[in-house]
Amino acid sequence: MDIFQVSDMKKITGKVWKFGDDINTDLMYPQICYTLREEEKPYYAMSANRPGWSKLVKNGDVVIGGKNFGTGSSRPAADNLKNLGIACVVAESINGLFLRNSVNSGLLSLEVPGITTKVNEGDIVEINTEDNTITVNNNAIKFKPLPDFLMEIIENGGIINILKNKNLLGNPL
Amino acid sequence: MNTIEKILKNHSIDEIHNVSPGDIVTVNVDKAIIVDMAALHPEFINNPPLKPFDNDKIAIIFDHFVPPPNIEIANRVDKLRKLARLWNIKDFYDVGRGGISHVLSSEKGWLKPGSIIANTDSHTISTGAFNVLGRGLGTPELMGIIATGKTWFMVGNTININFEDKLSEKSSAKDVFFSMVKLVGDIPNDNIEFHGDGIKHLDMDQRSSISTMCAEMSAEFAIFPFDGILGNYLESHNIHNVNPVYPDKDAEYSRTYDIDLKNIEPMVAFPDRIINNVKPISEIGKIEINVAVVGSCANGRISDLKDIAKVLKNKKVNKNVRFIVTPATMDIYDEALRLGYISDIVESGAIVTNPTCGACLGGHMGVSSENDVIISSTTRNFKGRMGSPGSKIYLGSSRTVALSAVNGYISGE
Repeated sequence: MDIFQVSDMKKITGKVWKFGDDINTDLMYPQICYTLREEEKPYYAMSANRPGWSKLVKNGDVVIGGKNFGTGSSRPAADNLKNLGIACVVAESINGLFLRNSVNSGLLSLEVPGITTKVNEGDIVEINTEDNTITVNNNAIKFKPLPDFLMEIIENGGIINILKNKNLLGNPL
Repeated sequence: MNTIEKILKNHSIDEIHNVSPGDIVTVNVDKAIIVDMAALHPEFINNPPLKPFDNDKIAIIFDHFVPPPNIEIANRVDKLRKLARLWNIKDFYDVGRGGISHVLSSEKGWLKPGSIIANTDSHTISTGAFNVLGRGLGTPELMGIIATGKTWFMVGNTININFEDKLSEKSSAKDVFFSMVKLVGDIPNDNIEFHGDGIKHLDMDQRSSISTMCAEMSAEFAIFPFDGILGNYLESHNIHNVNPVYPDKDAEYSRTYDIDLKNIEPMVAFPDRIINNVKPISEIGKIEINVAVVGSCANGRISDLKDIAKVLKNKKVNKNVRFIVTPATMDIYDEALRLGYISDIVESGAIVTNPTCGACLGGHMGVSSENDVIISSTTRNFKGRMGSPGSKIYLGSSRTVALSAVNGYISGE
């Protein structure tokens, strides 16, 4: 597994993996992940609902979810998707805690009502955060951008980098 | 402004006169709570905050893995003990001293009406029962709050839930939640305020059970009003001179739902999700179970233990069922011992564990096998939540769990 580096946050082009409604944090980050080595964790993402999926994901792929994406726990579920190579999550609606955790881990997550009716699994989508459009099959879908200060956290690679830069973090325990 | 908007306004770091949906408000936090799970986040151990913004406003609570089930977790959480000493944290609750953070927070008097609580656990919305705004946050975000004392909230729409009348003997607070979720569904980014005459028939345990479960609707906040019942609870926990927050007369709510408590019957959530997945037990036929669990931040309180002791007294747990009971805090455990509930439970063939989140998150103290069919009064029924993804988790009230444990199939009476 390579840790995915976003080279151009303004434009993401990736292949779509489509999921349904109410995809919860425990599916993305099962209990077993807590004590695994960091590099092993992402491979357990969606192992209960979609066994084998994690091995198929390529750097830059995009997850499209239904309603209530990320419902559940405060666990670092977004980290597992990001570390698998997922470049962006787009869903009909997103749980507030998942959205915060995603932003704080440097993973772009967008609420785009209607997205599941316009995108199919395997489609190539282009997500442009300068003009706030998702383009798929030559159709451009406008979306409401995240507030600037959240985009800034994502562009910094997450909140830990920001806290480090402000000298707010100390030595390992 | 409604109650939630007013509490946010009162805590804003900038002087503002109004808060409404769509706003982003940066607020001062009154208490930041770290639970043992934070030690399992690599960033917390590798890059802990340099120092807390105010050590009296930080609490460290061991609850998820009490006592630690393996060496890795034992070593990780031990680092939090070091941190508690380093930061001189007075509100530090180690193994055997406290219990589940959300329940302990109320016992310790940290939930002062009108305040804001941040906690690394996702069920912090439970604080709403106390007229308090609480939100579960990821560990990295809590690290920022520990360092600065501040966080932000995006203000969502608020729905109004009106409770009328009172519950029948056979129904519980969990059934109220299931009725509500059936009516309302999921509401990511939106809030709930509870109103209506029915509230005066709900005690603090029942309100806490309802507010805790609102995390499962993806609500941001779910808040009850201040009244005599909450006032008496606070007085009995030595909290005086509180400043509760009430909605303005022209407070805005996006939708209103009326729920008649007397019509609510025992309900269950079927496995894998709660949204669009709850049914009255009277309509489900015979579903056999082999594991029963009572506990968690939602339903490990003294009234839960009272409910199940009443069912189990002089009865036996069905021979096909394993029944695990977990009081939420040491104080609740102690009270249940004094009142004789623990003997009623144990003599029936159930096991009583120490306070922990254990079985609810499939961590320890009741991890499920691939063949288990579980009825549980804990918080979540996600696939694999309590152990093997092959196990099936039905959720119900503690009373329903106890009745089902005796009968061997899901039972509301």
